[in-house]
Parts: sequence; C-alpha cells; structure tokens
Amino acid sequence: MPLNDDDFMRYSRHLLMGDIGEAGQEKLTQAKVLIVGLGGLGCPVALYLAAAGVGHIDLCDPDRVDKTNLQRQVLYRTEDCGELKVACAKDRLQALNSGITVNALAREVDVEILAGPPLTESYSAVIDCTDNVAARQLINTACYQQKTPLISAAAVGWEGQIVAFDFRHYRRLCFSCIIDYKSTEPMMNCANSGVVGPVLGVMGSLQSTAVMRMLLGFFEQHGELQRYDGKRGQWLTMQCAVDPRCPICGPTDS
Amino acid sequence: MLNLLFFGRLGDLASGIDKAIPYHIDLATPLAIRNKLAEQHPLLTKELSEPQVLVSVNKMIVKWDHPLFDGDEVAFLPPVTGG
Repeated sequence: MPLNDDDFMRYSRHLLMGDIGEAGQEKLTQAKVLIVGLGGLGCPVALYLAAAGVGHIDLCDPDRVDKTNLQRQVLYRTEDCGELKVACAKDRLQALNSGITVNALAREVDVEILAGPPLTESYSAVIDCTDNVAARQLINTACYQQKTPLISAAAVGWEGQIVAFDFRHYRRLCFSCIIDYKSTEPMMNCANSGVVGPVLGVMGSLQSTAVMRMLLGFFEQHGELQRYDGKRGQWLTMQCAVDPRCPICGPTDS
Repeated sequence: MLNLLFFGRLGDLASGIDKAIPYHIDLATPLAIRNKLAEQHPLLTKELSEPQVLVSVNKMIVKWDHPLFDGDEVAFLPPVTGG
C-alpha cells in the first residue's frame, strides 16, 4: 500500500534517510510482527515499532498489569493495575499511531500463534521478550521451522543479552545451539532478584533496531550474541558456534 | 598465560581472583579452570555451575570441554533469561 500524505509527514525522518526512504518505509508498513511478552522488554519494543510504522503488530501475553511492573514496564500507568497488559498496550500503541494494526492476544504463546496471523504465510519477524527459557525454546523452534527471523533478548539485574537469527537465509545455528534445549531455568530471575528499568530499555531498543534491520534487509549478524553490563558500562560481543547435535537445526537422522 | 574475564555479576564474586593465570596442561579447558577455582572460591564456583552459564574463548561461545591454548581469553557469563 503506498504512503499517504499523513504518512509522508509522520515518517519524514525515515524518508530523509537514503537507506530507508519511501521504499524502506513501505517495507515497514507491509511487515507483520509478533511480540511475545509485554513486560520490560516488550514495552519499549512495541513503542518503537509502532512509532516506526510497522504495519501489523500482534501482542502476546496472558498477564495483567501489577504495581511491581510499573518501575520498568513503560507502557502502563498506575490505573492499569489489574488490566490485561496486551489490552492496555494496544490502546497506547493505537493512540500513538492509528495507521497501524495492533492485535491483543491475551494468552500464553503457542505454536498456533507462532504460525502467523490468519491468511498469511508467517510473520515477518518474531520478537522474543519473554522471561523464561521454555518459551524461548518454543519460539526458536517455530521460527526455525517457518524460516522466520527471530530477535531474542533477556535481562536480569544490571545485565542484558541479545541474539538474533535470520532463519530466512541461515539454516544452521539457532537459540538451542547456545542454550541447551533440556536446560533448566536458572535460579535468578527478575521476580526474585530484581532488574534495572533502563537496562531493559537498552536491550529493548537494540531489539527494535535489529527488527528494523531485518525488515529493511540490513541484518548480517546471524547468531552474534551481545552482553551488556549496565553496572560497569561494559559490552561483550561474541559469535556462537553451531552445535552439530542441536535437536532443532542439527542434521536429521533420515 | 590465560586471561580470565568474569562478566557482569560474576565480576562481583571474582574481585580477589587473579585474572591472568599461567597456562598449564592441567588448566586446558574452561571446566578445569572452574574446578580449580572451587578450591578457594566456592561461592563463585557455585554460580559458575548454574545452568546456562556461558563460556566464551576469544569471543566465541564454546562448550565447557573446549581445549584452551596459551594466550586465550576465557570469559564466563552468568545466565540472563528475564524480560
């Protein structure tokens, strides 16, 4: 769908950029993405992608807003406590940008959701903003099978992690190569150990940037893992290795 | 020499540890280093034994039995799964 007059004003700061421009903005407008988890990571991701004009955003989270969320989950207000996160998020995102479609999916992520919106082949990208390894493995498996780009991030305390996979172009190396598929949940999580709000903002901003790179065709760092230590202001960038015995992307017996 | 890096909150537990250690055949894997640390730094070793602790050698994520060579940089990364 071509850009209209309002779009030319709204997205003018993208249109001024030679490597985005009208063609790039149309790619964003036509994209369909799924954000899994509307917590500390999902909030900034959803805000930036909605503002950027990503045309179709599905939000998946079964939880309701709790007062303890408000220290970091920047989409929600005090009066939202007790309401469904995806419903509140949808309202805020549509108020920010009524020209995009936002759907609220108030349930746990499953293979049906990950298969893509109705009448389409699959999502343009899936953004993993969940808080547990089981969901991350489920999302990774579905994205690998459907050749859907996956942008996964995590945070706890002062620390953040991001890794992204362009399964459209790379068929080896996935999340399960890095974190063992059978691995148990670590002891530390945000609920029992805390997390610094802006660290989630840093990682969520990086995730949204990676999504835009995927959608615009700039992404080349398949399986590159970045760690951020907000307490010391340190970054570490590492390459991950293919696990030849990976149950998801490894060779099959047949 | 082997250069050790304890990233993030692991750094809080590793403040008294020498980060440059002589290369030795008995310390030729990240697992061997962890076992060696267990003698004097049980708290750090407990954290290093958590599921999903990652190890990188020269900026490449590897398994715990990855062979080490003189001059390698070995980084230990605590699990991060919240969101």
